Amino acid sequence: MFYLTKITNLLVMGIFLLPAVSKESTAQNFELQRSQMVETQIRDRGIRDRHTLRAMGKVPRHLYVPQNQRRFAYTDRPLPIGYGQTISQPYIVAYMTEIIKPRPDFRVLEIGTGSGYQAAVLAEIVEHVYTIEIVEPLGETARAILEKEYDNVSVKIADGYYGWEEHGPFDAIVVTAAAEHIPPPLIEQLKDGGVMIIPVGSPFRVQQLMLVEKKGESITSRSLMPVRFVPFTSSD
Amino acid sequence: MRSPSFYFSKENRVILSLGMLSAAIIAFQLVLMQVISIMQWYHFAYMIISIAMLGFGAAGTALALMRKKLLSAASWLVPLLMCLSGIFMIFSVWLARLQVFQFDVYVLFVERSQFGILAANYLIFFLPFFFGALAIGILLTKNAGNIGKFYFANLIGSGIGGVLLVFLLSTMFAIEALPVAAMLAVLAAIMGFDRQRHKGLQSGVIVLGMIVLIFAIRVPGEVPLSQYKALSRSLLLPDARVVHSKPDIHGRVDVVASDAMRYAPALSFTFTGRVPVKKNVYTNGEFYGVIPHFDTTVTNIHDFTTEALPYIMGARDTVLLLNASTGTALAHALQRGAAKVQAITGVHAVKELMENEFAEESSFLFHDKRVQVLYQDSRQFLFSAKDNSYDAIILPRMEAFGGSAGLNALVEDYTLTIEAFSQMWNKLSDDGVIAVTSWMDYPPRTTLKIAATLVQALDNQGVTDPRDHMVAVRSWGTITFVVQKSPLDQAVAGKVRSFCREMLFDPVILPGFDPRNETLYNQLEDDSFFSYLDKIIVEKDPDFFESYSFYVAPATDDKPYFGRFLKTSEIQQQLKEYDDLPFLELGYLIVWITLAQGAFLAIVLIIIPLFRLRSKSRSKTATIFYFGALGLGYMFVEIIFIQRFILYFGHPMYAIAAVISTMMIASGIGSYFSGRFKLAHKVSAVSTLIVSLLILLYAVSLTPLLMHTINLSLAVKVFIAFVLLSVPAFFMGMPFPSAIRVLDANRQDQIPWAWGINGSLSVIATALATLIAVEMGFRVVMFFAMILYLVAFAVALINFARQKPS
Repeated sequence: MFYLTKITNLLVMGIFLLPAVSKESTAQNFELQRSQMVETQIRDRGIRDRHTLRAMGKVPRHLYVPQNQRRFAYTDRPLPIGYGQTISQPYIVAYMTEIIKPRPDFRVLEIGTGSGYQAAVLAEIVEHVYTIEIVEPLGETARAILEKEYDNVSVKIADGYYGWEEHGPFDAIVVTAAAEHIPPPLIEQLKDGGVMIIPVGSPFRVQQLMLVEKKGESITSRSLMPVRFVPFTSSD
Repeated sequence: MRSPSFYFSKENRVILSLGMLSAAIIAFQLVLMQVISIMQWYHFAYMIISIAMLGFGAAGTALALMRKKLLSAASWLVPLLMCLSGIFMIFSVWLARLQVFQFDVYVLFVERSQFGILAANYLIFFLPFFFGALAIGILLTKNAGNIGKFYFANLIGSGIGGVLLVFLLSTMFAIEALPVAAMLAVLAAIMGFDRQRHKGLQSGVIVLGMIVLIFAIRVPGEVPLSQYKALSRSLLLPDARVVHSKPDIHGRVDVVASDAMRYAPALSFTFTGRVPVKKNVYTNGEFYGVIPHFDTTVTNIHDFTTEALPYIMGARDTVLLLNASTGTALAHALQRGAAKVQAITGVHAVKELMENEFAEESSFLFHDKRVQVLYQDSRQFLFSAKDNSYDAIILPRMEAFGGSAGLNALVEDYTLTIEAFSQMWNKLSDDGVIAVTSWMDYPPRTTLKIAATLVQALDNQGVTDPRDHMVAVRSWGTITFVVQKSPLDQAVAGKVRSFCREMLFDPVILPGFDPRNETLYNQLEDDSFFSYLDKIIVEKDPDFFESYSFYVAPATDDKPYFGRFLKTSEIQQQLKEYDDLPFLELGYLIVWITLAQGAFLAIVLIIIPLFRLRSKSRSKTATIFYFGALGLGYMFVEIIFIQRFILYFGHPMYAIAAVISTMMIASGIGSYFSGRFKLAHKVSAVSTLIVSLLILLYAVSLTPLLMHTINLSLAVKVFIAFVLLSVPAFFMGMPFPSAIRVLDANRQDQIPWAWGINGSLSVIATALATLIAVEMGFRVVMFFAMILYLVAFAVALINFARQKPS
C-alpha cells in the first residue's frame, strides 16, 4: 500500500512537472544547437568579427521562424516564412553582418524585414536598426517580436524604395531581397564612406551578393559570393 | 441525295460519336497543356503528352485483360466511358487546383513529398484519357474487320479537335475552353447510345453530363499560380491588383498595377531622379514587360543603363526592335531621335492592349507616325524583311532578372542562332549595329554564349578579328554587346569610354582596353570571366567549349536551344561544385524526370499487366520490335515536324496545331486506304519502307524547301505545309492497322502486346525526342526515326511475310 501511494504521488508530480522540465530542456537544446551553429556553420567558414559571432550566438533564431519550422531553425539552410519569402541561412546572415563592419555607433537601415532575424542580429551590435517591410503580415509578425525584444529597432511597413529619410543618412544599408535596380533614394541616404550589401539575382536561384561603397562622388560595386535564397520546403 | 436515315444509321452514329470523342480528347490535351503552363511552367506540356499516351497504353492493356467482358458490354459501356471521360476532364482540373494537389517545381528537388504530389497529378490527369481511350479501343477492337473506317474517324476527329482548340484559345481563357472539350465528350456519349436498348441510361448520362457542364461553365474558377511565379510575387505588393486580363494563343496576358512597381533594370548609381511607377505585364504569370510612359520631356531611364550603348556609339535613324514586348525599347529609340522604328512583337494580345486599352497611358506610342508595329515572329521578319539599311537592330534584354533557373533550356529560339545573327548582319547599314543585352549571370553562361554566337556569326561574314567590330560594356547588373558592321574607330572608342565614366560602368571589350589592368567601378569576384571571353573572342580556342563546365557553344537552327547550358557529363561535378544544380538547370531536369516517370508508369500500368496474359504463340519479339518501332518512330517524326514548322510559321501553337491536325487527318486517310488492300502483310512492309525513304528525302530537302518558301503568304505556306506533312503522314497511318490485321489473322493473343508496346514507347517518345534534339540536333532525331521505320520494315519483311495475309 505504501509503495502504491508513493508511486501515485510520483506520477502526479510527474504529470505537473513534465511540461516545465520539457520546456527547459527544449530551451537548453536550442541553446546548444545555436552554439553548435556558430562554431560549425559560421566560425569554421571564416567569419571572424567578434561582434557578429557574439550576436549570432545570442539571438534565438527559433523565435523568428514559423512554429512548424522550429526544429529546423539552426540547420544550415534557409527556411520558408510564407508569402514566397525565406529566412536566410545562418551563415548568410552572419556574412552580411560582418561585411558591413558594424560598430556600436552605427545606424543601419534594413530593406526587407522578413522574419526580423537579420534586424535582431544587427540590433545586438549597433546603435539603432531601422527596418522596412513591404508585405504587411510579415512586417506585423516581425514588429511584434522585435519591439518586444529590442528597444533599438524601429519597424515600418512601407515600400522600401524611399528608404527612411528622416533617420538617414545611414552608416550601412542591408537589403535582404534581390532587386533589379538599386533605388536612388537609398544611395542618397547612405553616408559618405557608407556601404550597402544587396543580393543580385532571381529570388529562387543562385544569387550573387554585391557590396556597394560610397566615397564622395564615387560609387563602386564589388561582387562577393554566390548565395542561395531558396526554400527547402514549400510554405504553408 | 441520301436519306437522313443513312446519316443516322447505327454505324454512322457510332462513327460520328467516335470522331467527336477523339476531338474532345485532343482538345482537352491542348487545354491542359495551357492550364499547366499557367499554373507551373510550360515544361509540363511534355508531361501532359506523356500522360495522354499513358492513358491510351493502359486502356489497351485493360482491353487485353478483359476483352470478352468489355466487348460484350460495349453497347452501353462505350457511351458511359465517353461520358466519364468528359466528366473527369472537368473533375481532374478541379482536383488539380486543390491545395493538396498543388506541387511547386522549385522545391521538387528538395522536398520528396513533391514527387508524390507530382505522381498524384499524373494519375488525376490520366483518368479522362484512360476512359476516353478505353472507349476508342473497344470500338476499334469490336470493329476490327472495318478498322480503316473507324481509325479514320478517330484520327480525323483528333485533327479537327486540334484546329478547334487553336481558334478557341485565341478568344477565350484555357479554363473557359475546358467545358467545350468536355461537352464534346458528353455529346459523343449521348450520340453513341442505342436509344431503343438503353433509353434510361442515356437519360441519366444526359442529366449527369449537363449538371457537370453547367457547373463548369458557371463556376470556371481561377487557375492557381505557383507562389514562385513572378505574378504571384507581384500580387503581394501593396494595393497590387490585376487591372486587365486577356486571352491569347500564347497564354494568359495579365496587367498588374501597384504603387510599388518600378522598372529600371540595372540602373546606374548616378541616376538621382525618381524611378516612375509602371504597370507590369505578365504572360502565363511570367514577367513580359511594363507599360511604358512615352514622355519626351523627361529623361528616359534606359539612358542610365548599358542599353544606351548603341545610341552612344552613333546616331540611329532607322531602328529594328526584335521581340519588342510592350515597347519600352521603342520609347527609348524614339527619344534617342530615331526617325523610323519597326517593332516586331510576337504576342497579339499585348499589341492590342498597347494599341487600345493602354494607348493613352503610353501616350499613343504604338500609333506614332514614326513607328510600325508588326505582329510577327522576329525570325520570320528577318526572312521576309526587304530593308537592308537598319542603323540598329536591337534585341531585348536576355533572361529574366538573374536568370530563370534554366527554365528556358528547351525553348526553341530561332532569333538567337548563328544563322539569325548572320541575317541581322546582312540587314545593317554601313555603320549599323546589332545590340544584345543580358543580365550578368553566375556562373557565367548566357553572357559567354552571346559572345560565342556573335563571334561565330562575324566569322561567317569573313571578320577575322571580332575585336575590330565588337564593344561590350558592363554595369553592376547587365552587360551589353554591340557589333558594328564597319570597323570601330578611335572616336567611337572615346565615346564609349566617356559614357562608362559618366555612368560608372566598365568597358569589357573595347579597343585598347584590358579590364584586368584597369581600376573598375564594378569589380568581379575574380577575373575568370575575362579569361573566358578571351578564349572565345581573342584566342578562338576550339577546346574551350569542350572544357567549360557549361554548354556555351552557339545555338544553331539545327539546335536552337539558346537557353540550354547543362552538360549531362558534368552533372556530378556541378552538383559537387554548386550543390544546387536544379536551380541552375531546372527545365532540362524536368524533361528527364518526365521521361523517367513516364517510363516507370508505362511499365507498371501497361507492360506488367500484360504478363498476366497467357500466350499461345511462340516468340513475341517481332510484335514488340514492330509496334515499338512504330510507337517511337511516329512520335519522333511528329516532334521533328513540330520543331521545323515552328520556324516556318513562327508560332509554336500554330505549328503544333498544324502538324498534329494534318498528320492525324492524313494518317486517318492512310489507315482507311490500308483496309482496301487485301494483302495486309505487304502493306505493313511496303508502307514502312516508303516512310523511311520519305524521312531520308526530308532530312535532305525539308529545311532548304521551307527556307525557300518562308516568305510566301500564309495561305500558300499553309498549303505547302499540308502537302509536306500529309504525304508521309498518309503512309505512316498504314503500318499499324495493317499489322493489326496480320496479327488478327495469325496471333490474336499478341494484339494486346502490340497496343501496349506501341503505347508505352509513345509515352516516352516525346521527352526522348526532345532530349536527343537538344543533345544532338534535329537531324539526328530524323536519322533515328528513319532507322526505326527500317527496323519495322525488316520485321515485316522477315516475319509477317510468313503469315497469312489477313
